[in-house]
Amino acid sequence: MANIRRQFKDPQLSSYQRKKYVAKLIFVYILGYKVDVGHFEAANLVTSNKYTEKQIGYLAMTLMLHEHSELLLMVVNSIKKDLEENNEYNNCLALHAIANVGSNEMAETLGPSVHRLLISPTSPNFVKKKAALTLLRLYRKYPEVLPASDWAQRIVSIMDDDDLGVVVSVTSLVMAMAQDHLDAFSFCYQKAVDRLHKLVIDREYTATYAYYRIPSPWLQVKLLRLLQYYPPSIDPTVLDVLQKVLKAILNNSVEVASNVQQNNAQNAVLFEAIGLAIHLDATSPIVADAAELLARFISSKETNVRYLGLDTMAHLAARADSLYSIKQHQTTIINSLRDKDVSVRRRALDLLYSMCDTDNAEIIVGELLRYLRVADYGLREEMVLKIAISTEKFATSYKWYIDTILQLISSAGDHVGEEVWYRVVQITTNTENLQEYAARAIFEHLRQPQCHESLVKIGGYILGEYGHLVANDPGLSPIEQFQALHTKSPYCSAPTRALLLTTYIKWVNVFPEIKHHLVNVFERYRYVLDAELQQRACEYYAVATRETDDLLQQMCEEMPPFPPRESTLLNRLNKKHGDTEDGRVWVVGGKEVNEEREKAKLRKNTADQAGNTAANGNASGDVPDLMSLADIDLNGQSSASGVSTAPTIVYAPKPVLDSSPSIDKWYEKLCMSNDGILYENTSIQMGIKSEYHGHLGRIALYVGNKMTVPLTSFTATVTGHNPDALSITFAKIPSNTITSRTQAQHVIHVENKKPFDGSPVLMISYLAGSLTTINIQLPLLVTKFFEGVTLSQTDFFERWKLIGGPPREAQVVFPINLDESGNVDIAKNRKILLGHGFSLLSDVDPNPINLVGAGVLHTSSAGKVGCLLRVEPNKVAKLCRLTVRSTSEEVAGQVLAALQKPLSKNSAL
Amino acid sequence: MIRFILVQNRQGKTRLSKWYAPFDDDEKLRIRGEVHRLIAPRDQKHQSNFVEYRNYKVVYRRYAGLFFCLCVDSNDNELAYLEAIHLFVEVLDSFFENVCELDLVFNFYKVYAILDEVFLAGEIEETSKEVVLARLEELEKLE
Repeated sequence: MANIRRQFKDPQLSSYQRKKYVAKLIFVYILGYKVDVGHFEAANLVTSNKYTEKQIGYLAMTLMLHEHSELLLMVVNSIKKDLEENNEYNNCLALHAIANVGSNEMAETLGPSVHRLLISPTSPNFVKKKAALTLLRLYRKYPEVLPASDWAQRIVSIMDDDDLGVVVSVTSLVMAMAQDHLDAFSFCYQKAVDRLHKLVIDREYTATYAYYRIPSPWLQVKLLRLLQYYPPSIDPTVLDVLQKVLKAILNNSVEVASNVQQNNAQNAVLFEAIGLAIHLDATSPIVADAAELLARFISSKETNVRYLGLDTMAHLAARADSLYSIKQHQTTIINSLRDKDVSVRRRALDLLYSMCDTDNAEIIVGELLRYLRVADYGLREEMVLKIAISTEKFATSYKWYIDTILQLISSAGDHVGEEVWYRVVQITTNTENLQEYAARAIFEHLRQPQCHESLVKIGGYILGEYGHLVANDPGLSPIEQFQALHTKSPYCSAPTRALLLTTYIKWVNVFPEIKHHLVNVFERYRYVLDAELQQRACEYYAVATRETDDLLQQMCEEMPPFPPRESTLLNRLNKKHGDTEDGRVWVVGGKEVNEEREKAKLRKNTADQAGNTAANGNASGDVPDLMSLADIDLNGQSSASGVSTAPTIVYAPKPVLDSSPSIDKWYEKLCMSNDGILYENTSIQMGIKSEYHGHLGRIALYVGNKMTVPLTSFTATVTGHNPDALSITFAKIPSNTITSRTQAQHVIHVENKKPFDGSPVLMISYLAGSLTTINIQLPLLVTKFFEGVTLSQTDFFERWKLIGGPPREAQVVFPINLDESGNVDIAKNRKILLGHGFSLLSDVDPNPINLVGAGVLHTSSAGKVGCLLRVEPNKVAKLCRLTVRSTSEEVAGQVLAALQKPLSKNSAL
Repeated sequence: MIRFILVQNRQGKTRLSKWYAPFDDDEKLRIRGEVHRLIAPRDQKHQSNFVEYRNYKVVYRRYAGLFFCLCVDSNDNELAYLEAIHLFVEVLDSFFENVCELDLVFNFYKVYAILDEVFLAGEIEETSKEVVLARLEELEKLE
């Protein structure tokens, strides 16, 4: 050491020497000795140009310094330099350093650089992997400084990378970020399902990523876990693929692998898959199959498998509606309490606790009580809590409750937390017909020569309050009660004795016959050293020896019932969990516990969301329609339509739409026709072919890649619609790559369940160098589901009158432009009406420039809705009146909104 | 995530330690001792490879005289981490050609470099042995 110190003082120390000595220091440090020199030299090495020297420098920094160490500030700049350098190896070293000791400051200063390395198309795979995990470290340290939701799409798109190493790392990052930003990362659901499908069913992966013939088990496990953070998808296509994957995983597990590694890897995936299946739907046939598997597992010869079997079964118990399939194995599970391994015993305890209900509570609790006496010390406290909770929750009779709890306290003794006896007292006080029995039972326990202090406390409280109820029983006379309690008092701690004094003063009130014994006790306690006891004794003594009893009586009024409050026991138990990185998807405990938890979470989320949508509402809403309506509010009549188009509930915050004159034109054209171009830019072109039959429709979306390079990480989703009114599903998950100069076709099935507003938004994103996102309206209006009907003049007017005025009528007057010859463009108007599914009735209105139409809307759950309309343009005033009457109020408004815009424009369609 | 990685021999001497959560030196010392006492007496044959430890759990595996322990969150997938240990050991074994305790002691800087290629920031970074080994060879040449 002295030599090293001397060497460091030498100003001419060569960098090789420096490296050698720092390495020696590290060695000394690793062996467990304190090292307090060389930090400066290490920082010096970091700036070296030689890779090995830099490496040692960084190693010394990361090993010997703590993340809060001030010395770290010295190297932040060197790290930054290495990060930005165009050298893969130095990048990696810098990333390692941040990943190992990254602190809050680093998150602030270096976060953006790390992110850049992650998304840069020129980064080698190694840099990407490390950057993803480094970013994860920084995000965990200091989530506020990283704009996770802004980065979401870009980061998720890397999950489509060809290199599975990159995918594993990015998935870890997505898992952490998605937990906090579920919506922003919702893309990852589809990506994860798609990737699982590729791994498990298509078996599409590089051979090096198979681990003992299992395709990257770690990635599978991560993806399956990620999916559990989200509520089950509502998209039947995605769900269908997912079911196939889960089934395949379950089937794979039937053949038992030959070696340990393969077996473990296979089971790792299997257990995670079962977890996901339970999360998706605990009543599905897959879960039923899984339950059978689990039953086999819990009596397996291999300890690891037994452990995981019990653990997963507890998950099942936490979610399932019926515990029947688990109860069949009750004996096996109870036997697991006697397993050789404490870890297994603990899992068995959790499971028993979860599967406990009113039917089996007596057996399970009885079994737990018996086991408690021989249980490991570390386990006892938790056991006591769990027994106490189960007993309270599933008690069929109060008698049994009191017996069990008292037995619990007397056998577990020191492991009983304060909460347990508080709770007993609470329940006894609040349940009137329990009081008498409780007093008798506790007295029995107090008569034992040895009894635990907690019992004395309960005894003190209960006998003090309710002792008089049983005082007439033989063997329970006041004096006997007093003796039973008082003989225990010398062995008790001061707080307990204070409690006993309070009991005595209560007795002075109800048992005058033993008053002199009690007063004697007060008398003696007036001289004890403990201040609290002394004060109580003096005060009680004074009260007891007063001449009149009124004060005493008032003081010793019976206790009022406690206000109902949450069980302190549960609080205590919940406190024991916590502090895990990974949000728990379920907790040990019965179904209700989990449902409660979900609800609480939901409440929190909706509150958050309400805030969000309020903020988004103005910025993005469905701006185009509303704006145009508001502008032409000529005679106040449009109020009806205004109301009907205003979104009452925003289902998902609509993304900001891309718009340009040509996008709008394409959209409008497609609103009236079924085929055509939807979008085009320099890299892609999208077109649509669609057909509608009644309430069903089929849209084929053609996406062509115009570039000479393949387009990767392609995603298409449709949002912004109410899933109860309009169901939109992709026939299959869109493939994520479109090779150069080819076209991909995606078929979308739509079903109109109820009338709906506006049109949904199609979100397309793809990677071509950088990430491009396109949000455009999908030309899917309610009018797409209209079918024209022909009516005679009399029929028309009969119905027109039948429907009557508002609210089933919607009317608007708006300005129009005339065509070149100064006339109303009737041909255009006819085209618009026909395009929106109405048939024109020619003999209804004598004026040829007016148009009259009729149509029927097909929906699957709201049936058919008839709709009539009139278009009355006025050439002189350049105004047009549009009146829509429909048997359904909302449809009238929706049709009005859909038609008004095209009618008011003079576009040469 | 992984909280820390410990490699200890049967006497409780720590041969490799990597901390992904911040602990100060005293705490590290205490954890080393506690983990050793928790793991060493456990039966190889009849007991599982998982033990609860504080609010976490330790997934461990014994190779000859060395215990490789990963401390992970209590709801992480145990088997996945158990196999991650094996993956790491296989990498070490191929790199050092039959790895032994002394390799870990004297080539500590290489071991840390290997560790950084397999695990980073408490997560698995690379799951392919071939990829890791190719990378390590590449890095060796730089020296």
